[in-house]
Amino acid sequence: MAGLISLMILISLAGALITFLSRTREQARTIALITSGISLAISLLIFSRFDSSISTIQFLESYPWIPSIGVTLKFGLDGIGMPLVLLSNIIIPLTVFFAWGETKQANRFYGLILLELTGVMGVFTSLDFFVFYIFWEIVLIPMYFLISIWGGPRKEYAAIKFFIYTHVASLVMLLAIFALYFNALAITRTPSFDMFGLLKSYQVMDGDLIKGVISLKDAVFIGLLFGFIVKMPAVPFHTWLPDAHVEAPTAGSVILAALLLKMGGYGLFRVILPILPYSESPSKMITLMAIIGVLSILYGTFLALAQRDLKKMVAYSSISHMGYVTLGAAALVPLSVSGAMYQQFSHGLITGILFMSCGVIQHSAGTRIIHDLGGIAKYMPKLTFVMLAGFLASLGLPGMSGFIAEFLVLLNSYFTLPTFVILALFGIVFTAGYHLWAMQRAVFGTFNEKLGHIHDGANYEIASMAILVLLVIYFGINPNPVLNMMTVNAEELLKSVFLRGVMT
Amino acid sequence: MNFNINFALLAPEILLTVLAFVIIIMGLLISNKSKNMLGYLSAAGLLAALVYVIGNGMVEKVPYFYDSLVVDPLSQVFKLIFLIVSLMAVIGSIEYFKDNRNQDEYYALILLATVGMMVVASANDLIALFVGFELASMSTYVLAGFEKKNPASLEAALKYFIIGSLSSALMLFGMSLIYGITGTTNIPGIIEFFKAAPLMAESSLGVLAMIFLVAGFGFKMALVPFHMWAPDTYEGSPSVISSLLAAGSKKMGFVAAFRVLVLALVAIRADVQVTFAILAIITMTYGNVVAISQRSIKRMLAYSSIAQAGYIALAFVVTTPMSIAGGVLLALGHALMKGGAFIAVAVVGYMVLSDNKNAKNIDDIENFAGLGKRAPITALGFLVFFLALAGIPPTAGFVGKLFLFYSITIEAISLSSSWLFLVVIIAILNSALSIYYYARVIKYMYVLPPQGEKIKEPTAYVVAILIAVVGTIGIGLYPEPFINMAMNAAQVLGV
Repeated sequence: MAGLISLMILISLAGALITFLSRTREQARTIALITSGISLAISLLIFSRFDSSISTIQFLESYPWIPSIGVTLKFGLDGIGMPLVLLSNIIIPLTVFFAWGETKQANRFYGLILLELTGVMGVFTSLDFFVFYIFWEIVLIPMYFLISIWGGPRKEYAAIKFFIYTHVASLVMLLAIFALYFNALAITRTPSFDMFGLLKSYQVMDGDLIKGVISLKDAVFIGLLFGFIVKMPAVPFHTWLPDAHVEAPTAGSVILAALLLKMGGYGLFRVILPILPYSESPSKMITLMAIIGVLSILYGTFLALAQRDLKKMVAYSSISHMGYVTLGAAALVPLSVSGAMYQQFSHGLITGILFMSCGVIQHSAGTRIIHDLGGIAKYMPKLTFVMLAGFLASLGLPGMSGFIAEFLVLLNSYFTLPTFVILALFGIVFTAGYHLWAMQRAVFGTFNEKLGHIHDGANYEIASMAILVLLVIYFGINPNPVLNMMTVNAEELLKSVFLRGVMT
Repeated sequence: MNFNINFALLAPEILLTVLAFVIIIMGLLISNKSKNMLGYLSAAGLLAALVYVIGNGMVEKVPYFYDSLVVDPLSQVFKLIFLIVSLMAVIGSIEYFKDNRNQDEYYALILLATVGMMVVASANDLIALFVGFELASMSTYVLAGFEKKNPASLEAALKYFIIGSLSSALMLFGMSLIYGITGTTNIPGIIEFFKAAPLMAESSLGVLAMIFLVAGFGFKMALVPFHMWAPDTYEGSPSVISSLLAAGSKKMGFVAAFRVLVLALVAIRADVQVTFAILAIITMTYGNVVAISQRSIKRMLAYSSIAQAGYIALAFVVTTPMSIAGGVLLALGHALMKGGAFIAVAVVGYMVLSDNKNAKNIDDIENFAGLGKRAPITALGFLVFFLALAGIPPTAGFVGKLFLFYSITIEAISLSSSWLFLVVIIAILNSALSIYYYARVIKYMYVLPPQGEKIKEPTAYVVAILIAVVGTIGIGLYPEPFINMAMNAAQVLGV
């Protein structure tokens, strides 16, 4: 059925506008929950009708927008975008529900959350580079406000840093997109921003950006890669993330970690992998990506180990987990690539639990400093239960979704990038270490009397986390509903790699 | 001689001129109290003219008065810009100058200034061009100083007057040199002459004439180094008049430059690309960098408008139809967003004055704290205008910049010239830089706590702001008809 994707995007946009205009907090949160619920229902409908055995684009829609420069509103889904659309629609209603108690400027708060949903769905479904870029930028603005209005003490610094850092990266990406566009224009003489067309035209690109220093092909590739890995973020371009996370409100952190970071990973699969085999020196680029991936895994892990703030620790753990996505993508083995895609989906669910836990603890105990907590399990049994589940999932306990993803990535990447995998394996030990150590110091042990009277999380908070835990376990036991379509698309993606004989 | 001319296409100019005189005469007859209705009358007249211009659409080229005026797509687009800006300024003035006993003169002057700008848009003869310039300038000199008891306003008017006169003199001198060389004041005639005798254009006299013209137009466009008057004038003038000056009267310089300079540049084929590229880059960089340190929002907007003039001036660098279309688009977008932003500043002024009658530095950034709560529609307007000025999609500012940068890139590719690429990259970096100072105001509006009670925003301002918001977002969401319009306008020049 045509039109389902645009319907979904339009509904969330309309919901956002109505929420902005609503007068009371009650109205705002009800409208937000209902709209995101409708959007979830539509995404489930799409998911149920999605044929996961083929790799072509499904639910394709196309409307002319600016024909004079070849911009078309083109939306569609395949095995790369579908799981992420589903993830967005799971995370947003749960975030709204988790933040049910928000009182400060409620209409704007919930409206911005819905606007984020619009933005990320647009990024994951648009097949026109121009429209893709617009949605990519739209996502920034609500997050800027979520951090700068509802954030912590250093919110203004964090918000502007987040905005400028990622905006500059987007501009670099935009330049690369325009290079692709003009290259295609010179060949075909018809203006078009069609994503697949432009990616195909990369194959015949030639010339130098600066003679003798860098070829145009390499420059475009690095420009696009830069745009994506800053968003992911990968070491060494990660410094905006801890600041943004520490200052952002819980809902903002959840959306940031669960959805916004995934845009970077999505870009790797949608844009980088199809052009990788045709770049000037594929093996160099693969090594570059693998180094970035492993560096993120290790550096993220070690920094997480050293953090005093629970939320900052979780933020660094995100960097480390997103490193698996880069590593898996760089390995170019069908199962490592689909493992990397699965890591995106799984990390989105798990990190939601972790950030929500931090939010509940902050709210109840008034601090997130691990050192000042201790023994809160005694008064917060429900939170402890879901939080423990989340932490175990995050450290990769078998039976939960994170294990499948990381196992697939590590196992299959070994075929092509053995050295890097062995290095990354060291990270795993410390990953388990910082998770358990933090739990032990902050949650278990003797109760720190200085905290005074603390209470357990509200029911709506625990409920949203519990739903995520159930999903993490479900997808840990039965990954097939989403893993199948990822594998089909990963195989399709890598056909060109084998054709070019990049990897032996 | 054919006296059977159809004046239908000049109806807007005729209507506004007649209306201006009617208003002056009415001002003598009616009581001071009922002068408030004159604002509504002028707005109705401008609206009628606007509807008429839109209704005529993209007409074929029609010459008038021995070819001294033409009505063609280029003039139609700029008439549209001038009429929209004047309409917004007049609607805003209904509140700003409420119960002022000189309203009759005020509205008559605005209408005459608009007619002057429209004459410039249509001018096909250097004399007509100059007369239009002077009509618009003389009217706006008075308007800038209309708050007679406010020293800042008087200073603004005086600076504007002195520098404006100087620029008129330079322009006139340039024109007289050209007349001396070519023996005609008709613009196509001049171009023909230069095409036939390129050596004359490259002679020292020709170059001197060109320099004088560039300087004269440069003052109107507020390009660096001819910009010094703009910040003081925009800051000191009444906000509604700043809106007219920055959004409207500045575009007059651009349309004149499109008509005269672009053709002249094409004709003489001289190597002036680099000169214009340097002028444009210095202008945008200077505007953006200086805007960062401003505390007065009107001054910040003034510098940002210098920066925007720098972007528009990129159209002269490559002078392809597409780049001129981009310049026209950005001029249209800038008229809406800058015009709207200055009127929104007027609301802030109204808000501050209703708190404290003797407030100074009304447009200081501190007064913007918590504006999102105190005046939600105004703050929303600012948000849209600032995002548009920074070139964030989907807004008119984005479409204009995109088209401009796009056209230069295409030219850079077809000439495989790497310095043109560099120009585009500097322009894009500038665009990123500008986000900083816009975001700072947005932070004040939405993040910092409000300094007073919520106010009721006067309807007149709200209407003016909403016109600009709808226009800014409308062009961003559905740019195709506007792109076609701009392309049509650019094709008139036949470059």
